[in-house]
Amino acid sequence: MKRREFLLNSGGFAACVPTVGWADTSPVPKLEAFQSKMKHGAFRIRDLYNRDQSFSDLALACEGQRVTFRGYMTPPIKEELAFFVLTNIPMAVCPFCEPDLDWPNDILPIYTNRIVWPLPFNVRITATGVFATGAFTDEETGFYSLARLVDATYREG
Amino acid sequence: MTFKHTLAFLMTLSVTSATAEELPQAGNAWFKAAQDTLAETLKQQPNTDTAKNVIILISDGNGVGSNYATRLYSGQLEGGYGDDYVQPFETFPNLALVKTYNVNAQTPDSAGTGTAIMTGIKTNSGVLGVNENVRRGDCTTIVGNEVATLNEVMTDMGKATGVVSTARLTHATPASGYAHTVDRRFEYKLPEGCTQQADIATQLIDAMEAGTIDIALGGGRRNFIGKDITDEEGRKGKRAKGENLIARAERLGVQYVWDDMGMALAKTDGTPVLGLFERSHMMYETERTGEPSLAEMTAFAIKALSAKGGDQGFFLQVEAGRVDHASHASNAARMVADGKAFADAVAMADALTDDGDTLIVVTADHEHAVAFNGYCGRGTNILGLCMEIDDAGVEHTGEPALAKDGKPYTVIGYLNGPGSILRKDRNWNGGRPDLTQEEALDIDNVQQALIPRSSETHSGEDVAVYAKGPWAHLLEGTLEQNVIFHVMYHAATQ
Repeated sequence: MKRREFLLNSGGFAACVPTVGWADTSPVPKLEAFQSKMKHGAFRIRDLYNRDQSFSDLALACEGQRVTFRGYMTPPIKEELAFFVLTNIPMAVCPFCEPDLDWPNDILPIYTNRIVWPLPFNVRITATGVFATGAFTDEETGFYSLARLVDATYREG
Repeated sequence: MTFKHTLAFLMTLSVTSATAEELPQAGNAWFKAAQDTLAETLKQQPNTDTAKNVIILISDGNGVGSNYATRLYSGQLEGGYGDDYVQPFETFPNLALVKTYNVNAQTPDSAGTGTAIMTGIKTNSGVLGVNENVRRGDCTTIVGNEVATLNEVMTDMGKATGVVSTARLTHATPASGYAHTVDRRFEYKLPEGCTQQADIATQLIDAMEAGTIDIALGGGRRNFIGKDITDEEGRKGKRAKGENLIARAERLGVQYVWDDMGMALAKTDGTPVLGLFERSHMMYETERTGEPSLAEMTAFAIKALSAKGGDQGFFLQVEAGRVDHASHASNAARMVADGKAFADAVAMADALTDDGDTLIVVTADHEHAVAFNGYCGRGTNILGLCMEIDDAGVEHTGEPALAKDGKPYTVIGYLNGPGSILRKDRNWNGGRPDLTQEEALDIDNVQQALIPRSSETHSGEDVAVYAKGPWAHLLEGTLEQNVIFHVMYHAATQ
């Protein structure tokens, strides 16, 4: 079985997102093929990964597409940011702000058009934006990621 | 049978002391099954031989309620209703209830409970391998207050010893087998000025050097290497720069493995083994990849310890650490999945040992604030919505039971936790969100709760202890948790 691969720390933060998966040259599947994965109009972050933590076919299909993911808003790393982290499970404290805290497995950085108004950690939300991949370090927060939603909006539900 | 006839029949019974087979319900399937159980129980004879081997398997946070959930989950996986499913340790002949409180805590933590099980004394919450005279976090109070662990005691008897966990090996329960610390949080570093003890990771390698731990398999690699050292998975450690306890272990002749393939290739000839399969805790069973299962680690440890211990036997502590973590996250789906993996490990330990010379003890260190809603019909998915009882049949109706707010609810709930329905932005008011069966059965579903907490809590409720093998019959009644140590010690020394 293939061992998981992790990305290296860069800056102060490192998002647990895949480092592998683009080598396959087979045709990229259409997003429409994954409608069964969509529940309540949204995908789940976990569906972006294969079991070996490489990107899934859904992630490939999402590239450049405006898509919606469901989860919870983690408490902000800093105030007044157009950025938050979406998680599969609610996190009452910012897991990226304390060195001894364990990070949740499934996270997706969300870059919004406007400053984020924090919602309670235990309220389920959806975030809609353009799915983008590729190594990126956020200069303002130091948050390093290989996948994210940009130009995003969010709402409860 | 009319009332008159029944009365006459019972009067006849009272005079003639009829056998159970003569009762009118004797043909009932439930009656027959219970008679079979009684017959098996009557055959039991206490085993008073010396226990060559002692294995204690601890499912962290798996109290009677949590265990009930895992029983139903496991049975439903096999296509049944679940209620009547029997987990491997539920066939063990001996059982007791266990009071888990710590000396200073009605609601216990795993450090205090682990110390009770592994040293024979109750102590304070948050400390390991020390008595209640220490002040948590104050290193100066450790002097003179350290107590012996069962691994140290069993080593003195000539036995091989091991610790296996799906949590970090430096986490409370596995560390209760080898560490002496005034604070469970000292996993990889000590506060400034603390010179009276070593950090927990260092204590594990010290124990391997001393021979009081021969096999150590689990998670927590980051606590053994420095910030400047990159592990096999490309992640940095947490220790001070330059510190590398894995390299130190290897210099001592310890085999080091970090994934499932490495463990499969490792020698089980008695050579000490350190397995660190994950940077922090090992993965939940539902996501596990590249790491051995708890049952596989248990099998490996038994094989290696049997080789090391020879005729003197071995002592092994096995912990399912992530049952507890899933409950802290109010995520019942992963709690029961790891609970099933624990049951598989128990079955493995049982299959690889002889009841005649091996005492197997199965328990939990504490329970969680888990609770179960009603009234649900048979076959209701234990992770799903509570379905109505069918008055005309056995299986539920398929219609969710509704609360006064008109909404359905899951069978499993937690009293507190991140699934609280109360919202900070509404002055901690709130209401229950709508919930579909599909959402309830999602692997990431967070059970609804009332009291908002970042992490769901333990509870002080009793846990069960199951046992088989030499002197297992001493585990009966309602016991203080530290009695478990004394039974294991007694079994190994008689």
